[in-house]
Amino acid sequence: MKKPPQLEYLEQTLRSSRLSARGFLGTDQRSLWEILDADASEVEKLGYTMTGIATRMHEITDRANEGLGDWVEIGKNIKACTTDVRGVIACPWPHAFRANKTVTTVLKIDSGDEIKWADLNIHLIEEHGFFQGKGSVFRLEPSELVKIIF
Amino acid sequence: MSEVVWSALVSVGVISAVGAFLALLLVIAERFIANYGEVSIDVNSGDKEFTVKGGGSLLETLASAKIFIPSACGGRGTCAYCKVKVSEGAGPFLPTEEPYIDSQAREQGIRLACQVKVRQDIKIEIPAELLAVKEFRCICERIRDLTYDIKELRLKLPGPMKYVPGQYVQFRAPAYKGSPEVYRAYSISSDPADSGAIELVVRLVPGGICTTYIFEHLAEGDEVLINGPHGEFRLTDTQAPMIFIAGGSGIAPIKCMMHHLVNQGIKRKGVFFFGVRSLKDLFMAEEMKSLERAIPDFRFVPAVSELEQGESWDGAQGRITDVVKRYLDNEKDAASYEAYLCGSPGMIDASISVLTGAGISEDRIFYDKFS
Repeated sequence: MKKPPQLEYLEQTLRSSRLSARGFLGTDQRSLWEILDADASEVEKLGYTMTGIATRMHEITDRANEGLGDWVEIGKNIKACTTDVRGVIACPWPHAFRANKTVTTVLKIDSGDEIKWADLNIHLIEEHGFFQGKGSVFRLEPSELVKIIF
Repeated sequence: MSEVVWSALVSVGVISAVGAFLALLLVIAERFIANYGEVSIDVNSGDKEFTVKGGGSLLETLASAKIFIPSACGGRGTCAYCKVKVSEGAGPFLPTEEPYIDSQAREQGIRLACQVKVRQDIKIEIPAELLAVKEFRCICERIRDLTYDIKELRLKLPGPMKYVPGQYVQFRAPAYKGSPEVYRAYSISSDPADSGAIELVVRLVPGGICTTYIFEHLAEGDEVLINGPHGEFRLTDTQAPMIFIAGGSGIAPIKCMMHHLVNQGIKRKGVFFFGVRSLKDLFMAEEMKSLERAIPDFRFVPAVSELEQGESWDGAQGRITDVVKRYLDNEKDAASYEAYLCGSPGMIDASISVLTGAGISEDRIFYDKFS
């Protein structure tokens, strides 16, 4: 099936390093549609929704922000902290969303599993169902993500 | 093949050929014929006037005339840093500008310089300081690791740069590996008396275009393009005691200010709280201690909030805002302080809350926020 030009352009933007070094698709050779489709199926199979996952990520980041860089305990089994650097990054989708360059690190205390996300990740999941491509700096595997944050 | 089908195919072919020809003509016209001629640019009602060949964006046109408007996205209309007031000749407001400029600003003529095309005479208004901004072709003289994710760059200047301690420069990362050319802001950390070079403190941003360039591609001896100085963050010339608060790379402008205090023999009472999470995040402590000794009534207080297993530390411990609060609680006249802050929005907002809680009014709190 031929892609509409807007989607073609979006995929080019995501694959390029125009907004993020190494791009949003990393080394993933699948098309954007395939990535979105596969992740949406996995999220559904895991029994969650994009909104539910993003809401939990918001909660964790908001709590972690209160630590001003220190670890903050969230519930009994999660610790999180944030790191900030100067600047903002624009959403690659054609609308005006910009996120601070804040990175949240989340640690599941009992398993020792750790995951990191940028503020933009939350928006990308919430609004576009996009977990980024494999091999990109901020790719989030849905199964690993839900295992740690819930 | 029937005559009707053949005739239809020929018609389609002819129409396609005509269409392709017209498209080609448009491309050629844009490239060679579209000529907006000489266009005059008037900056700040005659402070600077010049004539350029029309057709480019206002941002690039101004840069070609050595007027550098801060911009971080390479002119793609996504950072919205390049706002200028255009009083005449801006052309229609574009949908790409709408998300960044509210109706009130729009009425005042605020536009994104990267989106405005220079097609006719234009009058703009910009902060006067921007006219003093210059471009410098530097040599990267030294790259020093400060921590696992923070580096210091020393850039040899081709000539002196006049800047006020607290100001920043825009560093150009050239296009590399598919990334576009981008500019990013870094505060000057060096001694203003060192007129031959400036130093910057850069923290790695995972996936960041500019910091990936600095950490993985930039080498000592490379040419580097910067423009500056920019920014309003600076010391006042009062005699009020000062409290400085910074975290991570936010140390840069404060260090520059401390050099200035030493150079000028300024004897204002001061204390600098530098917050880090663990000892591995602490850097420049010896240099800051040495500056502390050179300023008559000054204390440098590095504060570590979370010691890692096996680490020992006999300095201040706790979250930076708690350490600051403890200090101010013991000061007789906390309200007389002026505060200078550099760091993340969260750290700055929380610090402002502590400072105002101690009686320091907001007009005595100055900050450079990472946003």
